[in-house]
Amino acid sequence: MHIPDGLMDPMVSAIGWIEFMVVIAVALLISGKKFKEKDLPRIAVLSAGIFVAQMLNFPIGGGTTGHLVGAALFAIMAGPVIAMVGMTVILVIQALMFGDGGITAFGLNATNMAIIAPLTGWGVYTLVKPFLAGLKTETKHGKMNLGTAIAIGVGAWASVFVSASACAAEMAVSYAISGGAYGIAATVSIPAMLGYHVIIAIGEAMITVAVAAYVLSVSPNAFRSISEKNVAVPGLKGIMSSKIAHATVAVLIVFALALPLYFMYSSEGADGLEKTMEDAGVDEGDAVLTSPFEYGETYFAALFAGILGFVATALVGLGLMNIFKIGRAAE
Amino acid sequence: MIVGHVRGHHTRTDELDEHARASWMGRLDARAKIIGVVVFVTVAAMLTVTELIFAALALSVIFAAFSQVPARHLLKAYAGALPFILIASVSVFLFAGIDRGIGMWARTSACVIALLVLASATESLQLFAGLRRLGVPKIISTLLMLTYKYIVLMADELVRMKTARKARGFSGGRSLFDLRGLKIIGYTAGMVFVRASDRAEKGYEGLKMRGFNFDLKTWRQTRLAAADLAFIAWFAVVSGALITFQLGAFA
Amino acid sequence: MSILEIDGLSFSYEDGTPAIEGISFKVESGEKVAIIGPNGAGKSTLFSLIAGFRTPFTGKVIVNGDALDDGSEDKVRRHLGMLFQDPDDQIFMPTVEEDVAFGPQNLALDDIQGRVMNALRSTGTEALAKRVPHRLSHGMKKRVAIAGVLAMEPAILLLDEPTSGLDPRARSDLIGLLNGMKRTMLMATHDLEAVADLADRVIVINRSIMFDGTLADLAHRKDMLEQAGIELPSLSKLFSRLKDMGYDFRHIPVSLDNATSETARVIDEMGRKRQGR
Repeated sequence: MHIPDGLMDPMVSAIGWIEFMVVIAVALLISGKKFKEKDLPRIAVLSAGIFVAQMLNFPIGGGTTGHLVGAALFAIMAGPVIAMVGMTVILVIQALMFGDGGITAFGLNATNMAIIAPLTGWGVYTLVKPFLAGLKTETKHGKMNLGTAIAIGVGAWASVFVSASACAAEMAVSYAISGGAYGIAATVSIPAMLGYHVIIAIGEAMITVAVAAYVLSVSPNAFRSISEKNVAVPGLKGIMSSKIAHATVAVLIVFALALPLYFMYSSEGADGLEKTMEDAGVDEGDAVLTSPFEYGETYFAALFAGILGFVATALVGLGLMNIFKIGRAAE
Repeated sequence: MIVGHVRGHHTRTDELDEHARASWMGRLDARAKIIGVVVFVTVAAMLTVTELIFAALALSVIFAAFSQVPARHLLKAYAGALPFILIASVSVFLFAGIDRGIGMWARTSACVIALLVLASATESLQLFAGLRRLGVPKIISTLLMLTYKYIVLMADELVRMKTARKARGFSGGRSLFDLRGLKIIGYTAGMVFVRASDRAEKGYEGLKMRGFNFDLKTWRQTRLAAADLAFIAWFAVVSGALITFQLGAFA
Repeated sequence: MSILEIDGLSFSYEDGTPAIEGISFKVESGEKVAIIGPNGAGKSTLFSLIAGFRTPFTGKVIVNGDALDDGSEDKVRRHLGMLFQDPDDQIFMPTVEEDVAFGPQNLALDDIQGRVMNALRSTGTEALAKRVPHRLSHGMKKRVAIAGVLAMEPAILLLDEPTSGLDPRARSDLIGLLNGMKRTMLMATHDLEAVADLADRVIVINRSIMFDGTLADLAHRKDMLEQAGIELPSLSKLFSRLKDMGYDFRHIPVSLDNATSETARVIDEMGRKRQGR
């Protein structure tokens, strides 16, 4: 999912940079307050670990392999803020030392993999876990109860799927607003990215759970998010500081990041396509293929936005339900 | 020897810094290199006129040739980035014509090649210090330095563990349905983590005992020399020319 | 004023288990002290504590006149030079000479070039100056690590298992090197033969101090040895058995020189006794 330079429309890249800078600035502010110099080695080890984990190949079947993103694992083990900073560091190293992922495209890559992925992974995990707390069978995961394992798996799956969707959206928008000079058409990018990553996400989910189970059984202290108990504190302060509330905010942030793209796409749309191309004085090349669907790109985009909106709403709803549960339990 | 699979291509992590030391580019101030290449790549990414795109590609290749970075290394790294580039180029070709398709390929290649030269010709520590002096926050530059060091150590350990695994008959799972296979892969990853955690503490202590205060800003202060300024100037000029013609095309 | 003063030092781990309890001792300038004890006895923890990496602790640690407390860690560390068990934990730079220069550079010391040259010379590593440390043998890496520490000219050297993992040749080279230095040293080790060659004084730790004296004295304290789980060098074991068998050894030698002279003396005496009959 590492996008190289020159693929995305410069406008989209710029938006990616702005989104990334805003969120990471906040994350850095928070981490500056929470973490001391002596915590840095452990964060660096985690980042290095995820980096190396990204080098692992896991089999999908039929001889093909996939790679981990690791953002959900990071966020579940160390919390969303550290994960965002850590994933950013990983991406910088990959771009500047291995040429994996571009510089102008860094904003988008970071938004997808260092912000959307960890926030989604952690957010979904946190929101889903309380509902599965009842499932406590002894499983092959040893000390981890089944409910937690499922929550981790679902969170990891979502992190890959949502960030891949974001990437697909960025490609589609780039294509639309540049008249084909940049990006990949929605009719290709969305099914291709989503189709491929739906499967990859399953591998990610399973490996994330396995790693989490292993680390938990070997050294539970490495896990700050899992072993912490959700203590019910009454009142607004309790609600504000509860992890559920934070998780809900996380999901909302992810959704908010998608909005600029959606607005760009829907406003430029088909009219924008013509206009941009006129300005560029470029002739529309003879397309080898035309989309089989009448409404082509707009259909996919609408469907896509709809799904995203529904899922986000569902999760926020879950979050609100939990918050009220906490509030009531404290009374 | 550390061999890592990075998205499909092999990279010897210990080789990276070696290339940097071998070339004249390695002696330039990291800030100059970063600024020059970033300016070039940013402009190149904005080009849509086919002739200009190919000019940028030519400049990139010339840059690569001049840099003294071994061609084999660059080709291998380029091959790693190729899949993504090809998918984008082919799909653009299919939907918007051959001109656009080739343009996409040329433009992304121009940018990737320039970036790869920067990556291969700059020593890691210098790179991170350069970033810090250009304004990247202290926590990020410190984490970059520490993380990179641990990556080298952990990749080493991962290779050793894979060998140990193979010696006991496990050589990768077969598919997503191979639960045991995936579990073992996960456990391997987990083990690398736990073992590395202890080394992290020691590594930190080692640095503190050598008086390192973690701010790369104050470390090895160098000033921009004539060569550095020439480097930046060259890229500023060619980038300026390219973007002028690109915008002129709209006139 | 002693160069190192530890008074009533105690420290427990996060989960409450005590690591060390009530440790007190003083070290004078130029002394070479061996810290021995079974695994988990707290030797490494003691060193980490002295270097200011473990808080909170009770008791006092005063290094070269500076007391260790919250905030003075960096100041105290300047007096110390630590050699880690794994040299990879303290070698960072891409070439040997850059790594040796690393410490002095960070501390902004004078004459960095001179320091580096001296350090390389005294550890016999000049030939390695441009090499990549990552590729060197374990023994060579240890030397490079020592050079890096010496370049900073610390008042006290803390050596954590200095001879571990070294082949016999490298080991004797290292012992020779350390022997030749006049610097104050604390060495945590299992290698009692090295202790015999290097240390003037031995402190046995098993959470608290069990013994503080010379190795020669320690060799006679069977109870202590057993309690602390310490194995004497084979040389000493041999003499211990002979003594038990009735041979007239005045004490149990711990070093080869000592053993040679004792044996010679006993053989001479036995020879004289026989002649006298």
